[in-house]
Amino acid sequence: MTEVSIERLTMDYGVHRAVDGISLRIRNGEFISLLGPSGCGKTTTLKVIAGFEHASSGAIRFDGNDVMQVPAEKRDIGMVFQNYALFPHMTVAGNLAFGLEMRKLPKAEMQSRIAKVLEMVQLSSHADRYPNQLSGGQQQRVALARALVIEPKILLLDEPLANLDAKLREEMRVFIREIQRRVGITTVYVTHDQAEAMTMSDRVVVMFGGKIAQMGTPAEIYDQPASVEVAKFVGQVNLLRMKVEAITGDGGMDVSGPFGVIKVKSIEGAAPGRAVTVAVRPEAIDLVSPSEGQAATIASSYYSGSLMDYRARLADGTLIDVQTFPRQRFADGEAVGLSIPADRWWPLEVTA
Amino acid sequence: MSKTFFTIFCLLIYAFLLAPIVVVVLASFNSGAFLTFPPQGLSLRWYVVFFHNEVFWRAIKTSLWIAAVTTVISSIIGTMAAIYHVQFAGKLKETVRVAMMAPLLLPEVLTAIALLFFVYTIGIGTQTVLPLIIGHVLITLPFVFINVSASLESYDVSWTMAARSLGAGPFTRFWRIMLPLIKPGVIGGALFAFIISFDVFTISFMLKSVGMSTLPIQLYDYLRTNFTPEAAAVSSLSVFLTLLVVVVTEKFLGLKIHRF
Ligand SMILES: Nc1ncnc2c1ncn2[C@@H]1O[C@H](COP(=O)(O)OP(=O)(O)O)[C@@H](O)[C@H]1O
Ligand SMILES: [Mg+2]
Repeated sequence: MTEVSIERLTMDYGVHRAVDGISLRIRNGEFISLLGPSGCGKTTTLKVIAGFEHASSGAIRFDGNDVMQVPAEKRDIGMVFQNYALFPHMTVAGNLAFGLEMRKLPKAEMQSRIAKVLEMVQLSSHADRYPNQLSGGQQQRVALARALVIEPKILLLDEPLANLDAKLREEMRVFIREIQRRVGITTVYVTHDQAEAMTMSDRVVVMFGGKIAQMGTPAEIYDQPASVEVAKFVGQVNLLRMKVEAITGDGGMDVSGPFGVIKVKSIEGAAPGRAVTVAVRPEAIDLVSPSEGQAATIASSYYSGSLMDYRARLADGTLIDVQTFPRQRFADGEAVGLSIPADRWWPLEVTA
Repeated sequence: MSKTFFTIFCLLIYAFLLAPIVVVVLASFNSGAFLTFPPQGLSLRWYVVFFHNEVFWRAIKTSLWIAAVTTVISSIIGTMAAIYHVQFAGKLKETVRVAMMAPLLLPEVLTAIALLFFVYTIGIGTQTVLPLIIGHVLITLPFVFINVSASLESYDVSWTMAARSLGAGPFTRFWRIMLPLIKPGVIGGALFAFIISFDVFTISFMLKSVGMSTLPIQLYDYLRTNFTPEAAAVSSLSVFLTLLVVVVTEKFLGLKIHRF
């Protein structure tokens, strides 16, 4: 059980700044995801926490103790690598024993711990196999087991599911999350897959260009994105240009656009007459009869089994993406109404 | 059709490469008094002569221990150089490679002369066996270096990181993780070093101390004044020794390990 605090952490590779002054506090037993596009500094952040790279500046504390000068082998961290990094010349049991041997544990305790963890990852019958005799998913579980068996302070995972096929990936999300809950270990999980970050994490940290763009619960990140970039990265979004009509007293503002005048939360820099970008998620929109909602026609549609993606055209030509369950189907060209609950509009930025 | 052709082609190349060795081995069983081919009758006569020849035995012993010492030194330095080259050299990678391969690219006689000047300049001279060992290490180093480098190219640095996160210090990481995983390259390189050191002539000839003889030098001396099949018997024995080293290493140290 460990609390991690990162303060103004910066990491330069020569002239290139990979991590740019990030601050972050991870609570005891919390599952945090670092989410961002490739090259945004996620792995670097993880490596600095693990002690594989020396930060250019900033501080990292485990339970209040500065660990910047502690070498990786003494930080007591469990790490799962994207390619698993299982030792090919050791059996599954050998891989798990390695960290325990480093801790000079008595043989009997070693074996009982290995047995316990192998059972947890459902690989008890594979203890004597070599890594090359296991499937990708099994190797992944061995990697997780090897990191957990040493009972580390913190668990770090770097895109651990990236090499698995889609179906297995979804199973493993749940699997990893359940084990993490059971063990109660503070966890930092790196991924570029927003769905993964959303489903697994207590909190998501969105990173762009070495900086934290937003951090919050999955729902906060999704429903109340801090910027256009974040809104786009964590899912599909309709971005509409609207005009500020009035700032109302209760912290809101009236904006006008293709959907008439609507009321949203006021944002920094907003003043009557300014242009703002307002977001609405495709699945927040319901398709109703033309008389009940904003009139539109179906421009195109895509069926994906459980969901239906439509593109609807408003009278002024604006295209709106709508996602619904395919219970009721609409044909291309059909006249529909778009109904959007007032609280699903989210203002992002003032543009002019 | 083309496969048959390819097979025949390969067999011809092997025949071309191996024929001289076969000739020497066959000639060593000659019962006549001169080194001729085909042999005039088969016998172990010249092996008996050779087994009673003190001079050759001394040369073989010298060559063996020099090869052993060379192999140990060369394997250690070459492996360290390869690790630096693959994992730490960064921008210097190509420079390091060229520098390490230089002894292979330069004519051996040039290396020998340069070393000769060098040892006299720094004052160690050729009174001891040291210059000869230095020479042998120098020319066997590239073979260890390329073999270990090749192994290291498929070595995943995240193995080292994984070991580190599990609490292993630098020595443990090397002995328990890296070395076992690059073993094929290290053993391959060591084998090359041993065989080449055992076999090398020019360097030994230039750098040896007075009165010392390695097997190739002794053979050369012998062939200048004699032309009996005893020379073939000695050469054959060195062929058998080489084969023995390869087979024993393969058998007991194993060139293959569990991977992927
Ligand atoms: N060893 C390194 N040397 C130089 N630049 C690096 C090194 N490692 C990463 N970088 C750079 O730092 C940035 C962040 O990399 P990384 O943390 O691996 O990103 P992510 O894991 O988010 O994809 C990238 O632009 C990458 O090119
Ligand atoms: Mg990465």
